[in-house]
Amino acid sequence: MAIPLVPKLLRAHLAALAAEDQRHDGRGRFVGRDTELEINCLPRAEGSAKVRMGDTIVYAGVKFQIMTPYPDRPNQGGLMCSAEVRPVAGRNWEPGPPSPQSIELGRVVDRGIRESGCINTEDLCLIPGEKAWQVILDLFAVSDDGNLFDAFALAGIAALKSAVLPAERFGIGEDQPLDVAKTPVMCSYHKVGGRFVYDADKREELGGDERIHITLGDDDHVHSLQKGLKGIFTAAEFAEIMEQARSRCAELRDLIDEKLEGV
Amino acid sequence: MGGYGDIQCIDENGIRLDGRTKDEVRPVHIETGVVPVADGSARMTWGLNDVIAAVYGPMEAHPRKIQRQDRAVLDVRYNMAPFSTTDRIRPGFNRRSREISKVTAEALESVVLTELYPRSKIRVEIEIICAEAGTRCAGITAASVALAHAGIPMSDMVVSVASGKVHDIVVCDLNKEEDNYGEADLPMGILPNSGELVFLQMDGDLSPDQFQEAWDYNMEATKVIHAEMVRALRGGDE
Repeated sequence: MAIPLVPKLLRAHLAALAAEDQRHDGRGRFVGRDTELEINCLPRAEGSAKVRMGDTIVYAGVKFQIMTPYPDRPNQGGLMCSAEVRPVAGRNWEPGPPSPQSIELGRVVDRGIRESGCINTEDLCLIPGEKAWQVILDLFAVSDDGNLFDAFALAGIAALKSAVLPAERFGIGEDQPLDVAKTPVMCSYHKVGGRFVYDADKREELGGDERIHITLGDDDHVHSLQKGLKGIFTAAEFAEIMEQARSRCAELRDLIDEKLEGV
Repeated sequence: MGGYGDIQCIDENGIRLDGRTKDEVRPVHIETGVVPVADGSARMTWGLNDVIAAVYGPMEAHPRKIQRQDRAVLDVRYNMAPFSTTDRIRPGFNRRSREISKVTAEALESVVLTELYPRSKIRVEIEIICAEAGTRCAGITAASVALAHAGIPMSDMVVSVASGKVHDIVVCDLNKEEDNYGEADLPMGILPNSGELVFLQMDGDLSPDQFQEAWDYNMEATKVIHAEMVRALRGGDE
C-alpha cells in the first residue's frame, strides 16, 4: 500500500472524485468491499473467526477462564473484549502500549456486543459468589487497509457464536455451545469529500473526515453508536446512513447465519 | 522439558502420537502475500503451528539513536496471539518473547545484506496465530520467506527446525507433547545452501551420540522445509 506522503493531495483527489459521485476504487457510495468470513479457523481457540474485507484481514478468538464473580454481581460471569492492532498490520501501527485508536476500537466493538445482551452473563455463573465463566474475546488485526471496526465486530460476533464452553477441560461437566441469543453487527461510514461512504479503505480514512459507527442488533435495535474524529454532520446525513445500515446489517447477519450452518 | 514421562509419546513400533516415524517432519505449507499491506509477507503452517510474518521497509530508522551509519538495523518482534495456546496469553511483551525476538533478529542479521541500506530500518513482525511446538523455528523460517518476498537482498534464507529426545529416543521436529514431556530440545537455524548455522539453542540432556543424531535430523529436515520455501516463493503450485 502506497500511502501518499502528502495527505492534502489525497484529500483533494478524493474530494474531486466525490464531486462526480465516484470513489477511488470504483465502488458506489454504499457498496462494501468483498467480505469473506471463515469460522473455526483457530484450533487453539474455543471459538474463532477470520474476516477479510478487501485487504483488511482480522482474526477473532474466544477463550474462557474461571473467575470469581464481582461482589456487586455475585450471580454473573463476565465478558471481556480486547482489541489489539500490532505493528504487523501496517507501517503506521507502532509497537508499545495500546494507542488511543486501538483502545477506541476495542471499546466500541465491546459495547455493541455487550449492550445487545446477546450473552446472558447470569448463565455463566457456576456457583454464586464463588465461581463463574469469564468469556474473553480477543480481536487481532493482521492487515489494516481500513475499517478495522466493522471487520472486528463481524469476526467478534461470529467467533462468539461458534464458541464452545470447555467444561470438560476444567473438570465441570460436559462441553456445551456458548449461548449467544442475538447477532449485533456494525456498519461504519466515513465522511470523504463531503459525503458519507460505507466501508472506507485506508486511503479514504487518511483523506477523509469524521466517521460514524452504528451497531444494530436483531430487529434493527440500536446497540452502540460512536462518532469519531473531527467533523460536523447533519441530522439528515445521519438518517441516510442509518437507513443504509439497516439493510447492510441484515445482509451481514445472513452471512453469519449461513457460515454457522456449515460448521 | 522435565521428563515427567506421564504420556507415552512413542509406541513400541516407533510411531509417534501424531502418526509420524521418528525421522519425519510435520506437514509444512507456506504461502506468500498474506498481509497485503506489507512489503513482504508469509504464512507458514507447520503441524498445528500457524505463523504470519510481515516485513516493512527498508525505511527511515526512527528514533535516530537506533540508526547505524554503515548498515540497516533489523527491528524484529516475535509475539504470540492471545488465543494461540490452550491457556490465554495476556497481550504484551514478556521475557520469553523478548529473548526470542533478539535471537531471531541476530539470526536474520547474519544473512540480510544490511550494509546495502545504511541508516535505515527493516521491520520484521512475527505473529504466532496458533502454537503447537517450535514456534520460534517457524517464526524464523517464515520471516526468511517474508524478507525474500519483500525483495530484501540476503546471502541465503534461514531454515529453522528443532529435534530432540523423548523417552530416550531421538526424534525429528518435536510436536507439542514431545516438547512438553521430552528430555531435550535442539533448535537450529541453518543456511540450506551451505549447511552453516546462524541460530542455535539447546536445553535438556543429550549424550554425544544423541546430540549428533538430533543435529543430523535437523540437517535432513532443512532440505524438506527449504523445498517448500522455494516452492512458495516461486508462486505456489503452478
